[in-house]
Amino acid sequence: MAPIRDKFTIHSKAIVCQDVELKGDITIGSGTIVHPKATIFAVAGPIVIGSGCIIEESAIIVNRRKEVMRIGDDNLFEIGCRIEAPSIGFFNTFSTRSRVHHTVRISSFCVIGANCVLAPADDDTLSDYTVVYGPSAERRTWTGKGKIQEADLRRKHAEYLREMLPKFNRLRRGDGT
Amino acid sequence: MVSNVLYHCPCLSASSVPPPPHLESSAYSFHPLHTLFFCEECDAVRCNRCVSVEVSGYYCPNCLFEVPSASVRAEKNRCARNCFMCPNCRNTLSVVPSDPPDAGDGRLSAPISTVGEPPFFLYCNHCRWDSSEVGITFEKPTGLAAQLQKLEDYAPESLEFDRLKEHFEPILPAASAALARDIPGVAKYTPHARSGRPSGKDRSANKDEMPEYKSRLDINHASTYGSGGGDVDVELMRRLEDVSEIASLEQRWNYSWSTSLETRDLKPLRIPLHSKRSKRCPACTHILIKPEQKAQSVRYKIKLVAANYLPAITVALPHQIEMLGHISAEAAKRSTKAPVDDDKDTRGGLQAGKTYPFHMSLTNPLYDPIQVRLSVQRMHVAAAVSSGEGGTIDKARRPPFAISIPTTPFSVAPFAEAWEYEDDEEMFGLDDDELEARLSGREKEPKPRSKTVGILEKRANVTVVGGEVALGKEARGEVKFNMLVAYTYRSDDPAPSEGHDISPSKKAALETKTFAFYTVVDLGNIIPKEEARIDPYDV
Repeated sequence: MAPIRDKFTIHSKAIVCQDVELKGDITIGSGTIVHPKATIFAVAGPIVIGSGCIIEESAIIVNRRKEVMRIGDDNLFEIGCRIEAPSIGFFNTFSTRSRVHHTVRISSFCVIGANCVLAPADDDTLSDYTVVYGPSAERRTWTGKGKIQEADLRRKHAEYLREMLPKFNRLRRGDGT
Repeated sequence: MVSNVLYHCPCLSASSVPPPPHLESSAYSFHPLHTLFFCEECDAVRCNRCVSVEVSGYYCPNCLFEVPSASVRAEKNRCARNCFMCPNCRNTLSVVPSDPPDAGDGRLSAPISTVGEPPFFLYCNHCRWDSSEVGITFEKPTGLAAQLQKLEDYAPESLEFDRLKEHFEPILPAASAALARDIPGVAKYTPHARSGRPSGKDRSANKDEMPEYKSRLDINHASTYGSGGGDVDVELMRRLEDVSEIASLEQRWNYSWSTSLETRDLKPLRIPLHSKRSKRCPACTHILIKPEQKAQSVRYKIKLVAANYLPAITVALPHQIEMLGHISAEAAKRSTKAPVDDDKDTRGGLQAGKTYPFHMSLTNPLYDPIQVRLSVQRMHVAAAVSSGEGGTIDKARRPPFAISIPTTPFSVAPFAEAWEYEDDEEMFGLDDDELEARLSGREKEPKPRSKTVGILEKRANVTVVGGEVALGKEARGEVKFNMLVAYTYRSDDPAPSEGHDISPSKKAALETKTFAFYTVVDLGNIIPKEEARIDPYDV
């Protein structure tokens, strides 16, 4: 395997803590917050993360394919989740300990429930507003009601973190390796 | 393959001797210690099967509000406040306001008010179901029960039920006073004056006089309202495109009445109430378990559990523990797991024809030291070993094995706080070394029998005794034997006569109580000698 060359492009307004494990070619957009102990591995291909995302502790984002893994804006990756989806839209929520395989493409406004495993055998695309929940990962479609309130809440969450995290955690500065 | 010890509860039967453990029916009389209770008045063990249960209170699992029993009947065992259950995923619904009007694309110009905007609706955070899908919205976020009351009262099922109550009420005899207590709606009507208590003849006469009941709706059309299995359901099945359109069983069985089969017709339910139960001894009706009145506290006012009275016995096979230790060490070194399993089964299991030592540890829960005596119950292997075939089958069912355990009484120290045991730390360090020395010693040279059978160690309030099981060559099945545990303890007499009686009667003031109970010790399955692989015993 070719040695992984680290190349981090982190926006100046993004908040990435010191204790984050980054590997490979990673781009992080403005306003994104990466909590300590998160892991972003661009092992085979690059990862591009949009703006306003919140990546919590023990979240693992891995790209094992050569193509670019694009993550959109305003997504929430909760604690312990493991994401390998090649493309993610915006305003999605990946709840605690959820697992998404590299065969799934996720659009926008989706919610993957806690401890759900999305690992279909062949390529699958989750359309907008899909909610995955329950131990057997049943799906249903959300009507989208309450999405403005949720978007507002997400923004407030990100703003609060932007204020509080630097007070208690060391931040990674610049494009260091 | 885990060896365990279960305790016998006689369950008010005449003989206290338990059935032999190789019989299938004996499994129901033996329980793990943590499920048993102890009645102090009767001095007997009680289990969940023989204890009498009564409800001590009702509460809503969501809002933890204790509901008085009168309201329980009135509200049909559901929470009367704003607790609703999502019909889709059975989680709790929360009341949320609607979104503010969307001015642009995500840019929020006006701040969202804290109260929120009407109309309010119920929303499930887990599966994102909301009640606007079934058309239930509210004008105010509080007092949802009242707002939904009208909807529920005029449902066809409730009206039908009310009509049934009205119909049956005049026919009931003077015993309707009891009924009035049970169903609140009936109390309004004055009971008919019947002459005396109706005898059998009168009752039949009453039946003939009973007017015919006319239901509100014709029964033929009833299938439009519920899953009656009528034509409506058949039509539904014909039109079905996706199986998720049909409500699953878990979604439907919480409803009081049968509802329609379609998922989209499922309405939010009020959360059913849970109950807190108190348990009584069946013989003397002494309360054994009484929970606290508050719904959120998990403690008990009265808690007479057997674990506080009976010594806890655990059994372990040291060669198994040693094997597991070796295996985990080996597994850490290598990556494949396939060859290890076979070894574990043959080396760690009980092989026919061999003799295995086992350790039993007894933990004393009382504040006084106890003297314990163990004895193995004689198992009557029936003398039906007559013909050849019948003989081998019987032999297969009752494995011949011999148990030897120490029969002399031994003491177990009383329970005390951890810091009161002085040489605790040294003991713990010594234990591993001692045990290792014993195990390795046993492998090197055959130790005299007294070392494996007998009291092995005493630390804190635990005593470990060793026993041996010798398996016959043709042994099959499980190694299970009943063991009688008798223990005596001194309970201090609280009478204030100690001041006057000085010398010899001081000891007489202390009572020595004896209690005996049966247990079954299960050491595991025997691996027969002929085959090294596991044979499925589905006899």
